[in-house]
This record gives sequence, structure tokens and C-alpha cells, in this order.
Amino acid sequence: MIKRPPTNRLKDVAFGSFLILMIAVAASAQQKVSRKFPAGKNVRLELKNLAGTIEVETWPRDEIRITAFMESPAIQFNPRTTESGLVIDVVGDNRGRENVGDVNFKIQVPARSSVDLETRSGQISVSNIQGELVRAHVWTSGNITLSGVNATRVFASNTTGDIFFDGEFSRGGTYEFKSGQGTITLRLPTNCGFHLVATAPVKKISLGQFWHKDMKEISQGRRIIGDVGDGNASVTVTNYQGDIKFLRR
Amino acid sequence: MNCESYQSLLSDFIEGSLPPHDCERLEAHLASCGDCGEARNDLSAIIDFCREHHGEYEAVPNEQAMWRRITNIIESEPRAPLPANVPSAAGWWFRLMNRSWQLSFPQLAGSLAAIILVVSLITVGGMRRLGFGGAVVQGPFPAIGSSASMRDRIRQQQQVIDYWNQRVELNKARWNPQMRETFDRNMTVIDAAVNDSLQHLNENPHDGVSEDILYAAMNDKVELLKEFSNL
Repeated sequence: MIKRPPTNRLKDVAFGSFLILMIAVAASAQQKVSRKFPAGKNVRLELKNLAGTIEVETWPRDEIRITAFMESPAIQFNPRTTESGLVIDVVGDNRGRENVGDVNFKIQVPARSSVDLETRSGQISVSNIQGELVRAHVWTSGNITLSGVNATRVFASNTTGDIFFDGEFSRGGTYEFKSGQGTITLRLPTNCGFHLVATAPVKKISLGQFWHKDMKEISQGRRIIGDVGDGNASVTVTNYQGDIKFLRR
Repeated sequence: MNCESYQSLLSDFIEGSLPPHDCERLEAHLASCGDCGEARNDLSAIIDFCREHHGEYEAVPNEQAMWRRITNIIESEPRAPLPANVPSAAGWWFRLMNRSWQLSFPQLAGSLAAIILVVSLITVGGMRRLGFGGAVVQGPFPAIGSSASMRDRIRQQQQVIDYWNQRVELNKARWNPQMRETFDRNMTVIDAAVNDSLQHLNENPHDGVSEDILYAAMNDKVELLKEFSNL
């Protein structure tokens, strides 16, 4: 057995202490704040984030629970209740501050809620919302995932990143998906009906089993227009530099 | 107080000359009113822009003295006698037509050179106004067959982009490197869409898809610049 000199042991202890300290600092760096707000069944949530992820899911209660994980203690946000619901404006509440860091939100809302979400960068995911509106906008980079969504109006847009929609289109509803670069994938039930305007000037539009011969191809297939089923919902999909894919559930 | 009253205080508020009591009331209103908040941002943007370009429009030192000197020089020059056969009540066209145009060879050469120079400057200026050589629109400009209204629309949009781009560049130094990198990368994506559309339009000026994408991408660019100009 090799006996280590005491100076080396001291170094090990110092290094170990330093590691523990760093882990403690990292753990305390992400502050968690959680608050609940009473809400009706058709409440509207508006969230404007600077940077970070936003995750919205439903729960069987008439209240909204906001849980925020903040990278920096300097960041502030003051949720405001309005007549129609709840407004969180991280951008406005931190205007003029520098490098405030990310805030990652995890939010629970009633299923019939409307959600209007926006971030400068970061991912947005929304699941099982069945209210009037779902809007998810990432100003720069970030994937958007909307699953189990059955809202009358859905808008999803980003500049870089994928958009995935798995849900249903309501009769007379409006659905818009737009990306600068990334793949837009729509996964839909067999019996859905919609009028489609899909534009992908650089890459491919793949309608899969939704394609039929009455679809109109414009500008060498860079835009496809046509009705699927009864054509009652209006669907617009635009991708500047990426693919558009339709999948049948 | 209604929004109109609050907005009338914005100018003093931004200049810092509003009494503290009114400041507090206005700040409270701005925190809750999106329209007035936007009005404040727009007014701030205009005032900032004027401040930034203040030096470009500065008057010459001792402007009055300079004008007096110019007036003295004009008044001290002897008036050219009118030709005897031109009546004093004649109009400018009559005077022009009855003037004797006797030019020496150097005068004639100088006049020709001046005409060529002016025409060249007007041509270059016109091309620049139409978007050639723009800082952002790098692709070939849709020329043959494209409508004047389309060119005007692109030019106007480009001016808006230039304005907001200038504002973003001023603030960019304060951003963290990650934010700068993300912004630049995403701007490249939109620029690529703009340039691809311009290239398609140059090949086929009547391609509606490229036209739609061009306008949409330019609008997106303006919106993105606006959003980041306040960061």
C-alpha cells in the first residue's frame, strides 16, 4: 500500500471541499418560486418570457399554478390577475436590466384555458389544452411542441427550431404554423377536415396520406393548396428554409 | 385622466422634466396600459434617434454672420446690364431665349463635364434608393417585369429595417455573448429567406410564392429587430 504524503491529502480535502461548495452554489443558483391563482374554467394565461423553457399542462382544478425556476435571483416577475385571467410579463418587469438569465416555467391550468405564450429563446410545450386559443411564439431559437391540443385557434411560430403539432382541428377553426428553419410536423386524425395552404420554398412539403389529386401545386410544388375532408378549418403552414410534414394518426 | 392625457405628458416624462407626482401617476398607468407603453417606446425611439444624429444637423458656428457676409457679397456685385433690345417687363423665358450664348471651348468642355457628372450622380442615387447596394438585401433585385409598387414596397421596408437595425446595433454591446450569437444566427436565417426570394424573383418576376415569402420574411425581420431593440 502506498502511503500518500500529508500535503497531497490536504490538497484532496481542499479540492473536495471546493467541489461541494461549487455544487451547493449551482443548486442554490436556480431559485424556485411557486404560486397558485384562482381561475375560472375558461381562463386566459398570457406569458411573455425573456429566455427559458415554458411548459404548460392541464390539471383538474379551477386554478393556475405557476412554478418558475430562475437562473438569477436578480430577475423579477409580478403576475397580474386581470378580468380574463393571468398576465406574466417577464420582459416588461425586467426592462433595463442586463443579463438577468433564464426563467424556466412549469405551469398547470384548467383544460378549457386559453394560453398565449412568448419567449425570446427557449422551448415551449403545451399539452391537452382544449380552450379557445393556443399561441406559442419563439422569437429566435426553440422547439415548439403542442400535443393533445384541441383549440379553436392555434398559432405556433419560431425562427429556428422544429414545430410539432399533435391534435385536432375544430370546424371553422384557424391554425397557423410558421418557422424560419426547422421541420414543421402536423400529426392529425384520419377524419379531420381543413383547407390547406402550405408553403415551403426551399425544401419539401410532404402531405402523406392527406395528399389527393385535386390538390393544387403552385410554383413547382413550393406551395400546395387544397381541401382535405370537408375543408372547414383553415390551416396555413409556412416554412422558409425547412420541411413540412403531415402524418396521419 | 384618460390615455390621451397621459400620452400628452410622455414627452416631458422622457425628457425628465415632469414633476415627481405626475411621474408616479404616469408610471403607474404605463405599467398597466399596453397602448400607452407602446406610445412611450415609440416616442423614446424617436427622441433617441434624434439625439444620436444630433451632430449631423448642427448649424454652422455664427450662422448670422455667415449670412450677412453672403448678402454683402451679393449686393456688392455689379448688376449685369440687360440687353437693350429686351424690354424691362419681359418674362424669364423671353430673357433666356434672347440671351447670347457665346461660350469659349474650356467653358463648353466644363459645362459638358458638369452635365455628365450630374446625370451620373442622379443615376447612382436612383439605384441606391431602389435598393441596390443595400446593407441587408444582398441578392439580385427583381428588375425585369417587376412592378414599381413592389420595388417601392421593398425599398420602404428596407428603410424601416435599416432604422431598427441601427437601434439594435447600438444596444448589442450590452447583450451577453449567447444572446448575440442567437440573434445573429436567427437573423441569418431570415436574411437567407429574403435573398432566396429575391433570387427567385429575379429569375421569375411573377412568382407569387417568392413575393409572399419576401414580404413575410421582411416583416418578420422588422418585428424581430423591434423586439430586440429594447433589450
